[in-house]
Amino acid sequence: MKKTIFYLVALFSGIALSMEGAIYGELGKIIGQFESSFYNFFVGTILLTLIVLFFGKGNLTHTFKVPKWYLLGGLLGLIYLTVLVFGIPKVGVGISMIAIVVGQMIMSMIIEHFGWLGSEKKSITKKRSLAIVFMLVALIFIY
Amino acid sequence: MSIITVIITFLGGVTLSAQSSINGKLSNKLGTLETALVTFLTGTLFMALWLIFFGKGNLLAIAQAPTWQLLAVFLGVGYMFLTILAVPKIGVTATNLTAIVGQVVAGFIIDQFGLFGGEIVHFDSSRFIGLVFMLLALFLIFKDNNETLK
Repeated sequence: MKKTIFYLVALFSGIALSMEGAIYGELGKIIGQFESSFYNFFVGTILLTLIVLFFGKGNLTHTFKVPKWYLLGGLLGLIYLTVLVFGIPKVGVGISMIAIVVGQMIMSMIIEHFGWLGSEKKSITKKRSLAIVFMLVALIFIY
Repeated sequence: MSIITVIITFLGGVTLSAQSSINGKLSNKLGTLETALVTFLTGTLFMALWLIFFGKGNLLAIAQAPTWQLLAVFLGVGYMFLTILAVPKIGVTATNLTAIVGQVVAGFIIDQFGLFGGEIVHFDSSRFIGLVFMLLALFLIFKDNNETLK
């Protein structure tokens, strides 16, 4: 019973992502797509600065000591959001979310299969390869 | 034409998975909130550079944009907080897969009613079949993960 609540929490987190894409697609029509993406990261930075100042328990100084490729997450996140801001008004939210998720799932299986980016190795099993096929079928049907 | 958009969006998903791996590494050193801050800060800086050289839109038009659109920033940050709540209780895989279900179903609902000012795309039989295959795939991944844990 208690766990159900956390599944709902996870469900809502996904709903938030869809809404985010849909809304920034609209904002992009007013201020420009790249600008819409910039707005998100800029205001998000303000919010997170406050959050880290008041609730942060980690250590930001490690930012300067970690390998430089650890710092590329922001650039990748930027590409993700900008792609959505351009794409959603053209093809809709549903297919965009499916395409994002399928790309994400297939790539993370490949990353884990080879143990890239310092991840723990996890071979692509029969079940996982079947899942990839199903996801591609889903993508084709929805397209 | 729209097939290209879908392929580019697919590649956006590919970059997102690389981001999760990288941010996982970073948060081991920095902490979760700190990693989110570094991600947003570097994202802002990269995009600021891009806008200075290639920006064609009008950032100042933000003053004319409806407030509800500006609230979208809380959704991205909210996503992160909700995952931080759920992961310790149900695990990373269950959290991610459940979030994906929410993401996909919400996407279809937004399309069906043209919510937030977008175009209406009706939920038809081919979308239904696609959704079923998607859920089957997620179920397989969930089962596979449970097995490797045992």
